[in-house]
Amino acid sequence: MPREKYRDHDENLRAKVDSYKLVENLETCLACGKCTGNCPVASLTPSYNPRQIISDVLNGNAERWLASEEIWRCFWCANCATNCPNDIHFPLLMMQLRYMATEKKYGLKYIMPFRRFALRAREDGLTFGPSEKGREKIKRLRSNLGASPWPEISERAKAEYKELFDLTGATAYVEALSDEDEKPVDLRYTEGRITNE
Amino acid sequence: MNKERVVTPEKMFPEVPEKIFLFRSCTGSMEYPGTENAIKEVMKSLGIEIVMDPDQTCCSGYLLTCSAYKPEFSLAVTARNLSIVERHGLDTYMFCNGCMGYNLELAHIMHEHPEYKQMANDVIAKQGYHYEGKTEIHHVQELWYRLKDEIAARVVHPLNGLRVAVHYGCHYLAIQYNILDDAGYPTFHEEIIEALGGTPVYYKERQMCCGYSVGRGFTHKETLVQPHLYKKFKSAKEAGVELMTTCCPGCNTALDREQPNLTKRYEEEFAIPVIDIGQLIGLAMGVPLEKLGFDANTIRMDGVLKKLGIGKGDNHDN
Ligand code: SF4
Ligand code: SF4
Repeated sequence: MPREKYRDHDENLRAKVDSYKLVENLETCLACGKCTGNCPVASLTPSYNPRQIISDVLNGNAERWLASEEIWRCFWCANCATNCPNDIHFPLLMMQLRYMATEKKYGLKYIMPFRRFALRAREDGLTFGPSEKGREKIKRLRSNLGASPWPEISERAKAEYKELFDLTGATAYVEALSDEDEKPVDLRYTEGRITNE
Repeated sequence: MNKERVVTPEKMFPEVPEKIFLFRSCTGSMEYPGTENAIKEVMKSLGIEIVMDPDQTCCSGYLLTCSAYKPEFSLAVTARNLSIVERHGLDTYMFCNGCMGYNLELAHIMHEHPEYKQMANDVIAKQGYHYEGKTEIHHVQELWYRLKDEIAARVVHPLNGLRVAVHYGCHYLAIQYNILDDAGYPTFHEEIIEALGGTPVYYKERQMCCGYSVGRGFTHKETLVQPHLYKKFKSAKEAGVELMTTCCPGCNTALDREQPNLTKRYEEEFAIPVIDIGQLIGLAMGVPLEKLGFDANTIRMDGVLKKLGIGKGDNHDN
């Protein structure tokens, strides 16, 4: 039975996933499904189901969501959280599911695009500072407004932002991001079920 | 700070502040620099002094939620930035839902877990900072709503019934306490549009998110973001929307920049310009066009401006 093979039963899974202790009320989940019913991603991806993911975490089943494509789809719009009768902050769980998945080499293709942005932000003190050509455009737009050509960020701010990257381990983390031994992910929550696809 | 979920603007601001700290948004100062500029201009007309500080950095929240790095970094960045605001003795005002949501959530985590606050303070102490947790975090739109009548009294270019669709953005409505409305059925933007003389349009997918946060615009553009936004714009078009407003330059990027891609993919034209609600307030209050920065937009404002009879060189300083 395909569904049963996911019963990998790790008693401590919940604590391991929520290592930052940000969703400590997770076991108050009523399995009511309001999160799923209000989720824009679920409306486009029927197998994406926050309630099911929560139940897997609480039951100690990691195998299925770890290798799933579904967990990379969440928009973080928090419709789930604002509709949850018990104020469960699913996006903060989702953030940590993704950390655990990447530790196990799943889903790296979904974070690699941000490696470059993070290394750039480390230099700029700003996120999405573009390359030379884009910079010219920003300078032109800002000058048209009569504002300084570049956002007024000090050299000190930039140096200290960079230093915080280094001091908190973020530099090492970002530099180590690599998709070399990446394991494949797919839509796992459809397995063993009839789908229209 | 008020721990009730939803509060009235009068309760939130018994006194309107004379001076505020405006938190620089990366997207709002680079992608759509007119946003930052418009907000400064409107605050000036309302008699509210703005303080910014070049030592403030990016809030670091976007790439955190894209899983590019871990929370330790963002906690330290939040503590450092907010400690800079505290040195000015002011409250913090955001004009990006991202900056707002991330700063507030990370500050909340530090309040709830003193060990994280300690960790962040230990790191920033090396740079000579200390975060107390005193500065309150607000969104500038809260002042727009509080000062709705004052804004209405200063309107020189009424919107003449222009059909405006608002987009609230999730990261404000999802905040856990001290906000103007939750994600149930917010109307405070519509009330502002009415105060400017516009017609708010309650389109079907009004509360649908922009789809761009946590980087899905980079990872799932075709599979998710475009079909998602197509639903939104289809419902806006059906409702006869002429202009859409945001209160987050990140949402603005998604809603403005994706439209040509939707047109190409779904062979349907939308051509709905998307601007910040602060820019619209500025426009109605007679801030010169040159200071509003609509030239950064992909979907041109020309049609709307023509309809309102506003042209370049119009200047109604009040
Ligand atoms: S809405 Fe909340 S309680 Fe209901 S299933 Fe989702 S997480 Fe559980
Ligand atoms: S935050 Fe994620 S799971 Fe929650 S409603 Fe939005 S897309 Fe769905």
